[in-house]
Amino acid sequence: MSLLQLENVVAGYGFGDVLKGIDLTLERETITCLIGPNGAGKSTVLKTISGLLHPRHGSVRFEGEDIARRRPRAVLDLGIVQVPQERSLFPLMSVWENMLMGAYILNDHREARRRAESLAERFQLVRDRRTERAGSLSGGEQKLVEIARALMLDPKLLLFDEPSAGLAPQARAQVFEVLGSLRGGGWTILLVEQNARSGLSIADCGAVLDAGVVKLEKPATSLLADPEVARLYLGARRDPVGVSTNRPPERPAASTRVTATRKEKPVE
Amino acid sequence: MHLVVQAVILGLLTGGVYALMASGLTLAFGVMRVINVAQGALIILSAYLTYTLFVHAGLDPFVALLVITPGMFVLGMLLQFVFIRPLRSEDREELSLLVTWAIALGIEGVLSVVFKTTYRSVNTGYTNATWDVGGYTITQVRFYGFLLSVAILGLLFLALTRTRIGRAIRAVVQNPVSARLLGIETERVAAVGFGLSAATASAAGAVYAMVYPFNPNSHYDLISLLLTIIVLGGLGSLGGAILAALFMGVAEAVLAATISPTWAKLTFFVALLTLLLIRPQGLFGVKARGAI
Repeated sequence: MSLLQLENVVAGYGFGDVLKGIDLTLERETITCLIGPNGAGKSTVLKTISGLLHPRHGSVRFEGEDIARRRPRAVLDLGIVQVPQERSLFPLMSVWENMLMGAYILNDHREARRRAESLAERFQLVRDRRTERAGSLSGGEQKLVEIARALMLDPKLLLFDEPSAGLAPQARAQVFEVLGSLRGGGWTILLVEQNARSGLSIADCGAVLDAGVVKLEKPATSLLADPEVARLYLGARRDPVGVSTNRPPERPAASTRVTATRKEKPVE
Repeated sequence: MHLVVQAVILGLLTGGVYALMASGLTLAFGVMRVINVAQGALIILSAYLTYTLFVHAGLDPFVALLVITPGMFVLGMLLQFVFIRPLRSEDREELSLLVTWAIALGIEGVLSVVFKTTYRSVNTGYTNATWDVGGYTITQVRFYGFLLSVAILGLLFLALTRTRIGRAIRAVVQNPVSARLLGIETERVAAVGFGLSAATASAAGAVYAMVYPFNPNSHYDLISLLLTIIVLGGLGSLGGAILAALFMGVAEAVLAATISPTWAKLTFFVALLTLLLIRPQGLFGVKARGAI
C-alpha cells in the first residue's frame, strides 16, 4: 500500500478553487518532487495534506485512512511534518531550543533531548552552533536547522515547501545535498520546488502540476530527460545531472510568489 | 545633590512597580497582538479587591495577593475567551483596542457603582514607616512593593523560559505559523498568556493601593503611563519594558524633586515623542514582532 494517496482533491481559498482535482500517490520511502509554474497550486497541495486547508472534494488517504478533515495537530500526531516556505525557526531562541521545540507534542523533555543529541551527530551545524540564536544564522543555515528540526518527531512523511527559495546558490546546493542525504533513512518526502532541475535530481519521482491538476507523474529521471518537459517547465536546456548551482531560469509569467520571496529575505 | 539621589532612589522603587505593571501589557501584546488598554482597569480592580479584603477581612495586602492573583488569572482567561478569541486574527490588533477599552469602561462602571468615586487608600501599620539609610529615606511600603515586583518578574521570566507552556508562549510570540505547525495550540496558549498578563495586575494593584489614593477613574492615568512605557521599551519586549519603566520612574521622580511634579507628568510624553522621532520601533523593539 502506498503511504499517501490524493484522489480528485479540490481545494482553494475564498470562492476560487486552486486545486481542480488532484491525483497524486506517494510510495513509501521515496522522494517525490512536485514542480510546476507559479500559481499552479504546489503549496496548496502541501497545506491540504498538513491540515492547514481542508479540501472541498476528494480524499487524502494516509496509510489507508482518510485524513482530509483533520486539524493540523491531528495530522502531526500521525507523523506528517511540514516545513513551510517562510522562515520557521523561532529567531530569539537558540538553535538547540528550536530543536527541542520540534518535539513539542511529545511532552517528554528527556526524550526530546535524546533525539536532538542524535540529530546533532548527523547535522554538524546543529552541533557547532547549538547555543547561538537561530535568528543570527544565515538563511541557508536556518533552513538546514529547520530540516533537522523536522526530523525531531521521526515523522513518516516530510513535506518541504520550496526549501531553496530565496537562498544564495551555495546555500541552495547545501540544502539539496542535505535533502538528498535523507534518502534511505526511512522517510517519505514530498518536495515542492521552484528550482525544478535541482529538485528532480534528488528525487525518485516527479510530478508536474499545472493549473490545478497533475499533468504528469513519472520517474524523476525520465522527467529530466523529456525535452518537452524541459522546454515547458525546466526552462532553458542545461545539464540535467547533478545539483545545479546556477541561477534557475525564471518563468516569464513570474507572479507574486517570486516577489514575495524576495521581500521576505531579511537583512543578513 | 542629596535631593537628586533621594529622588533617584524613589524613582527606582517606583520604576520597579511600573515594570511589573507594564510586563503584563507587553506580554499580552507579544502573544496575541492585543493592546490591552484594560490593563490599567485590571490594576485598579485589584487595588479595590485588596482594599476590600483589607478593610473587611483584615488581610494584609501582601497576604491578600495569594487569593487575588489566581482570581485575576482566571478572570484574564475568561476575558480572552469571551472577548478576544472571537475577533478574527487579521484585524485583531485594531479591534482588540476597542474591545479592551470597552472592558476598561465596564470595570470602571462596576467599580463606580459598588465603591462610589471617593478616593480610597489602604493604610497598613507600616504604610508610613521609613528606614533611614545613610541620610536617605526609604519608604518601607515602596521597598516591599519593589521587592515584590522583582520577585514576580523573576517568576514570570522563569515561567517563560523553563516551563512547557512558557516555551509555547515564546514560540507563538516569535513565529505563530510555525508554532501551529509544530502542534502548539495557539488559542490555548493565548488564553494562558492573557491570564498571566492579568495576574501581574494583582500585585501591581496591591502595591498601588498602598502607595497612592485611588478611585475608579485612576485607570486613565495608569494606562497612559503604561502605554508610554511599553512603546518606549519596544512593543512586546519584556526586557525593554523593564528598562523603560525604571528609566521613566527615575526621570519622573528627579524632575518632580528638582523642578515640579507638574513637569514630571510631562516627561513621559516628551520622552515618548523624542524616542518615536529617533527610533520608531522603541528602545528594544524588533521591528514588528515581539521579543519575549
